[in-house]
Amino acid sequence: MLEPLTTSLQTVFGYSEFRAGQKAALTALEAGHDTLAVLPTGAGKTLIYQLYGYRHPGCVLIVSPLLALMTDQVNRMRLAGFRRVAAITSLTSYGERQSILAHLEQYQFLFLSPEMLAQPAMLARLGQLTLSLLVIDEAHCIVQWGPDFRPEYLLLGAIREKLGSPLTLMLTATADHATKGEIAKQLRTTPTVVTESLDRPNIFLDVEPVANDAAKRERLLALVTQLVFPGVIYFSSKQLATDMAQWLRDQTGLAVAAYHAGLSSEDRFKIQQQFMQGDLAVICATSAFGMGIDKNDVRYVIHYHLPADLGSYAQEMGRAGRDGQPSLAVLLYTPGDERLPLTLNQANRPDDATIQRFYAHPQAFSRNDPGIALLTFYLQHGISATAVQALFERREKERGHALAQMLAYVREPCCLRARWLAAFDETAPAHHEACCAPGKVPIDLTDLGLKRQAPTPPTPVAPDWQAQLRRLLVAD
Amino acid sequence: MDPEDLLHLLDDQQARRLRVIENLLRGRKTVSTLYWGQRYDLLFLLGLAKHLDRGGLDATAQALVSQKLATWTPNEQPQLRLTAKGRQRRDQVPTYQPQTRALWPQLSLAVARQRLLLSVQVVSQYAHRTARYYPLTTDLATRQAVRQWFHQAKSPDLATRIFTALTASLTQLPEKTAQVLTAGFSGYQQPGLTNQQLAVDLHQTPWEIYLRHVDGVVRIAQDARQADHPLHALLAPAWQTAVTRSAQATLRAVTTTALTLDQVATQRQIKPSTVREHLLEAAIMLPVTALPYERLLPQATRQTLLAALPAQLDDWEYTALPADLQARFDFFTFRLLAIWCDKGGAGHAGTPND
Repeated sequence: MLEPLTTSLQTVFGYSEFRAGQKAALTALEAGHDTLAVLPTGAGKTLIYQLYGYRHPGCVLIVSPLLALMTDQVNRMRLAGFRRVAAITSLTSYGERQSILAHLEQYQFLFLSPEMLAQPAMLARLGQLTLSLLVIDEAHCIVQWGPDFRPEYLLLGAIREKLGSPLTLMLTATADHATKGEIAKQLRTTPTVVTESLDRPNIFLDVEPVANDAAKRERLLALVTQLVFPGVIYFSSKQLATDMAQWLRDQTGLAVAAYHAGLSSEDRFKIQQQFMQGDLAVICATSAFGMGIDKNDVRYVIHYHLPADLGSYAQEMGRAGRDGQPSLAVLLYTPGDERLPLTLNQANRPDDATIQRFYAHPQAFSRNDPGIALLTFYLQHGISATAVQALFERREKERGHALAQMLAYVREPCCLRARWLAAFDETAPAHHEACCAPGKVPIDLTDLGLKRQAPTPPTPVAPDWQAQLRRLLVAD
Repeated sequence: MDPEDLLHLLDDQQARRLRVIENLLRGRKTVSTLYWGQRYDLLFLLGLAKHLDRGGLDATAQALVSQKLATWTPNEQPQLRLTAKGRQRRDQVPTYQPQTRALWPQLSLAVARQRLLLSVQVVSQYAHRTARYYPLTTDLATRQAVRQWFHQAKSPDLATRIFTALTASLTQLPEKTAQVLTAGFSGYQQPGLTNQQLAVDLHQTPWEIYLRHVDGVVRIAQDARQADHPLHALLAPAWQTAVTRSAQATLRAVTTTALTLDQVATQRQIKPSTVREHLLEAAIMLPVTALPYERLLPQATRQTLLAALPAQLDDWEYTALPADLQARFDFFTFRLLAIWCDKGGAGHAGTPND
């Protein structure tokens, strides 16, 4: 007989109570039910499989789509006291991969990218393990990313069966009714669904329409100058994040840094740690930033571009105010901002003529083109040209619908929260003053308690390097 | 790399192939790249930017050309030459001159850097009795090496000994270089600054900051070659000879036997052309005493070829030699002679700047 869940929680983490959703998910898993947990950002989803892995022998296999962040996840697991953890992705060197594979039985937690999992040799090796739990992290990617970027996510259902249909935990912070259904269908299971409200009542929602790019920049500067920090600003590209970080630093004198997937892992480490430690006032980021940043006191999140859908928007703005204190989510919108997600939507897919020509003469195409690589994948997995066309069409329609919802949020005249939650089949509490400010409603930072009092200059390079080196290495 | 950084890798007397500079940075060790890297005195660039894309310097070069600081010279491969304005600009704004650059090709920089940074972090946290912290992200080999080293080196005075050793190394470098290295370390209550941040703070380009950083790492690794240095066991293995293992084996076969080059190829089961490439690589990367030039380039050969070649090394062209000489001497002999002259053989003036 296993010890009670709360006893394990106390032993491993030193907490006496679960957060909402954690216990329900664990209870369902303990009863042997596949479980889909839809819990908002910051709800502590990782704890669910950590605790399950602690309580059961065998290996917890976690499939995660974000290569660059998987190493962070491994480090966080180690920090939490779990030592037998490893990750294999396409970024893992050959030698390291061999070393992990040679000791596979010893790991309690194994992180894999979908690409790695899809390799037959890897699958055969995993088949020899006793899996206590299969975790599909960011499970909404099955729907959101699958057909466009990560076709391997579509294979997860078949892979899961090849692994003997182990007990499965699907995790996501965002899923409407259709997405939940699609996740279950793709993974060929009928899971127990654990859902907690997505609402974050302490985050004030704000949409601000601006006339053009110049006005947008000025408004951003005004916000950054006045708001208490720390804050995060999301941009659509690495270049823009980098340029704006420099511009904001020059204009405000604040410690501002850029964070994106183009940085080296060493620089990502440094920026993350500076932010955690409170050395940075503002991070200018792309969507690479966030998952895995456990900073509770982020006071605001600003979007400088229009996110492609409400799900990713909620996930990113949800990084504000995890400590429950008043926080702010601003979306700056210039008419026409929807063109970028719309273009990306279309640019990602090969057109019908290309699909036909490719299926007729696959050898004549270069695999370096991401669209062609995708078609090659479908061809190799026996999916017909007609089926691929249908898949792309459906996907484009879904994305079109998601973008329309996003625009409806931007143009919402009454209550942003109601509009947002309705998209996820939730009813918002009645609108009140501390709820949101749609496009035509101005916001007052003082009223929100988010106006900064005195400016703080950034920490410069220490001129006395010897003293700095001494502080680093010699304890007082 | 900013245009002003590239400016410092160019010359007004010597036209330089952009592709050579790019390949050096990317760590491509073909004989042609190494030879021209040697001629340009830029071998220290080898492998400094392994992630640079092919054509990754084109836009930077074009920026110099449009500012009229450099011009393209028409050639088989595009070459860049500084204009008078370019040279003036280059001399007005001096760039950082790394003290240890002659040693750079001999150090596996990636290994030394990762090991140094992680060990400093580990020791810093250890000195401040912190058991739980995020380690720097490094590859498995580095983590294992540092773990093993730390278990053996752990002692109450380890941090102080490392502080003393690092201070001794950094004191030999310019003040700003010591600042860059120290501020870039991660450890107790210090996440460390990125090169980009240091560049802003110190009003230098990120490339210059990087050169300072590498200079510091190499200085420390050089000092750690002493057996009593606290980082000796960790950093000494990062030193290597500047030529590949296979080229070393070829050189050994040539210097220790009387076999002809073709016989060496048979013995080593490699192509005759590979033997010659190995020897050229060794000739470029090693001191002049390392190769049996007397045997490979008999005096009669040298005299005959030198009599037919222009005085300036950079004007030498194998295909411009008279046909009978091309028939008698292969490209290998021609190139080896150039390397020998470049290294001061026969009192030959090496670079056009001399």
